[in-house]
Amino acid sequence: MTETEEKADPPAVMIEPIDISKLDPDFREGIRSMPNGEELSACFACSTCTAACPIASTWKYKPHQLIRMILLGMRKEVLSSEEIWLCLTCFECQERCPQNVRVTDIFFDCKNLAAEEGMIPDSIVGLARELTDKGQLYVVTADWEREDMDLEPEVPGLSTEEFKTILKGTRTGRIVGGDE
Amino acid sequence: MVEVKTLVSNPVLVIGAGVAGLTAATQLADFGIRTVLVDRLPIVGGNAMDLYKAFPTDDCSYCFEGSRLRPGIRKCFYRSAILDQPNIDLKVNTEVTEISGSPGKFQAKLSVGPQYIDSKKCIMCGLCIECSNAFCLPSPQCQPQAVIYDPEMSDEGAKKAEEECPTKAINLGAQPSEETIQVSDIVIATGYHEMKPVSIDEYGYGKIPNVVTQLELAQILDPNGKSGGALVRPSDGGQVKRVMMVQCVGSRDENYYPFCSKICCVYALKHANIITLERDGTQVTVVYMDIRTYDRHERYYRVARDAGVRFVRGRVSRLEACADGTLDIIAYDSLLDKYLKFNVDLFVLSSALEPPKGSAELIESLSLHPASGFVGPADLTSENAVVAADHVYVCGAATGPAEIPESVTQARAVVSMILQSRK
Ligand SMILES: Cc1cc2nc3c(=O)[nH]c(=O)nc-3n(C[C@H](O)[C@H](O)[C@H](O)COP(=O)(O)OP(=O)(O)OC[C@H]3O[C@@H](n4cnc5c(N)ncnc54)[C@H](O)[C@@H]3O)c2cc1C
Ligand code: SF4
Ligand code: SF4
Ligand code: SF4
Ligand code: SF4
Repeated sequence: MTETEEKADPPAVMIEPIDISKLDPDFREGIRSMPNGEELSACFACSTCTAACPIASTWKYKPHQLIRMILLGMRKEVLSSEEIWLCLTCFECQERCPQNVRVTDIFFDCKNLAAEEGMIPDSIVGLARELTDKGQLYVVTADWEREDMDLEPEVPGLSTEEFKTILKGTRTGRIVGGDE
Repeated sequence: MVEVKTLVSNPVLVIGAGVAGLTAATQLADFGIRTVLVDRLPIVGGNAMDLYKAFPTDDCSYCFEGSRLRPGIRKCFYRSAILDQPNIDLKVNTEVTEISGSPGKFQAKLSVGPQYIDSKKCIMCGLCIECSNAFCLPSPQCQPQAVIYDPEMSDEGAKKAEEECPTKAINLGAQPSEETIQVSDIVIATGYHEMKPVSIDEYGYGKIPNVVTQLELAQILDPNGKSGGALVRPSDGGQVKRVMMVQCVGSRDENYYPFCSKICCVYALKHANIITLERDGTQVTVVYMDIRTYDRHERYYRVARDAGVRFVRGRVSRLEACADGTLDIIAYDSLLDKYLKFNVDLFVLSSALEPPKGSAELIESLSLHPASGFVGPADLTSENAVVAADHVYVCGAATGPAEIPESVTQARAVVSMILQSRK
């Protein structure tokens, strides 16, 4: 018998496809098992959430794509995406979703998961540091405004020391604490 | 009722013995109207014979809910209808070759295939099947209740079976015959044919054994089937762990059939749900353009998502058969704008439902209105969708892709029209 059919090399694929077997189906189940994830699998990719979102037009991954990526098990891509941190938590998407997917809450859960794995954007770490360093996010500086309104220059009774101590023991403290 | 029975005698010709034709024939017969029911196949039931669980209720009783006198599942219903109803003259292996005459007085020429097995005599003892591969029992519940014989596979064993059959039910020398009957009305219930997508190269159907159609998958899943309902690969009988389905194969495609076959989304998801929920740990992925689970069938889509069936909106870009019988597939996900790579054991095509062979001739011989190759109504603006012409009716999937409840409802409408015309 002669080998008539030569085994040709598979034609080159320009863009490497995402290998489904390398993704993490536990990610989908993990999110789904959290209280906010109950309706996650109901998503049918209608993209209402993306249409509703006030800022997604500038995002690389739109809200419906992020939900889809969660469903496919693209753990790394979702948790390292900057979109989950850019989300305004305005709940527009969640309000309008026809399948009751808790889009905003799920993104929030993703942020928590990402934080646990130390995947927090520097800008967010900066905010946390501000908080632990100063005990408050916005320091009152506009003294003249307070004066105009007949207020004392300092917020009366404001003591940030306790906050600093408390925050050290919280997750915020741990986020910042990396360089301790 | 009794009066009706004595009043009418002109037989009605029902072409096609699927659920639609069977419903029309048995109901007409129950009303005392003699009915000649023909089907070109050796057994009745049509395409619905191979369905395991049927939507919308996942059993079979729904479609005959109104037939309180004949309770039970679909297959039992056939049995009682065909065995007990003297007004039905069932002719299997039969085709209508010519129709002439005028409305109300049609002459139909029937070509009746050789009656190798006398179904009234066969007791399904199985002796002949032991003797020769030319005999087989299509299903334990088949109607008529008899084995069937394939002359192309005839051998010495077949002759032995003919001699030894305990009831002398076998006649290997049977010849085809022709007869002409006069009928008052004609009911077209010729159903559909699931397209064999051999010409759509990119899916490898007909070349790669583990590429099948939905109807073929239904046969694999049928507990009465060869594997006893186990989900196995046609190539080697190995267990299937990963399945991919592709929707709209040959439907909504100007190169094949421009129409939507309407029910393939529902039965694809019915199959996906059965596989995911009843065949442990089997992952199903559905590649689709739109999911059209119309009206109440949306439930199947919701259940599928909940069960973990994976949906990819897009198309298959590449398919490659591997040495171990699996298939490497790259699909384009248009929602993510990404290419996804899968490895599956079974690739299932939701192939178009097309008019069965002979439809064009039938439509022409009766000067009917074709509707994408199926039988259209005589008057598009009338509410009588089942009236195809004067004294000619159409029901079930002969009108275009249709589910069982719809087919049955239309068959009943036909019965009602015929009864009214005879008042
Ligand atoms: C994979 C699959 C799954 C499905 N699942 C479901 C389900 O779960 N629920 C549901 O409601 N529906 C389901 N359906 C649809 C169901 O099969 C149809 O609704 C039903 O079979 C239609 O019945 P019918 O009698 O109109 O046509 P058919 O079942 O097609 O019967 C037509 C009969 O006519 C005969 N015939 C055709 N032309 C001629 C001729 N010229 N001369 C003589 N005889 C002829 C054929 O041999 C056949 O026996 C499914 C379909 C498919 C493909
Ligand atoms: S709106 Fe809801 S169902 Fe639609 S894509 Fe977004 S999450 Fe999915
Ligand atoms: S909650 Fe976040 S994702 Fe949802 S609409 Fe607002 S910004 Fe967009
Ligand atoms: S041997 Fe005769 S009775 Fe027995 S199954 Fe065959 S045909 Fe029927
Ligand atoms: S029912 Fe679904 S798979 Fe079938 S043709 Fe229509 S859209 Fe395509």
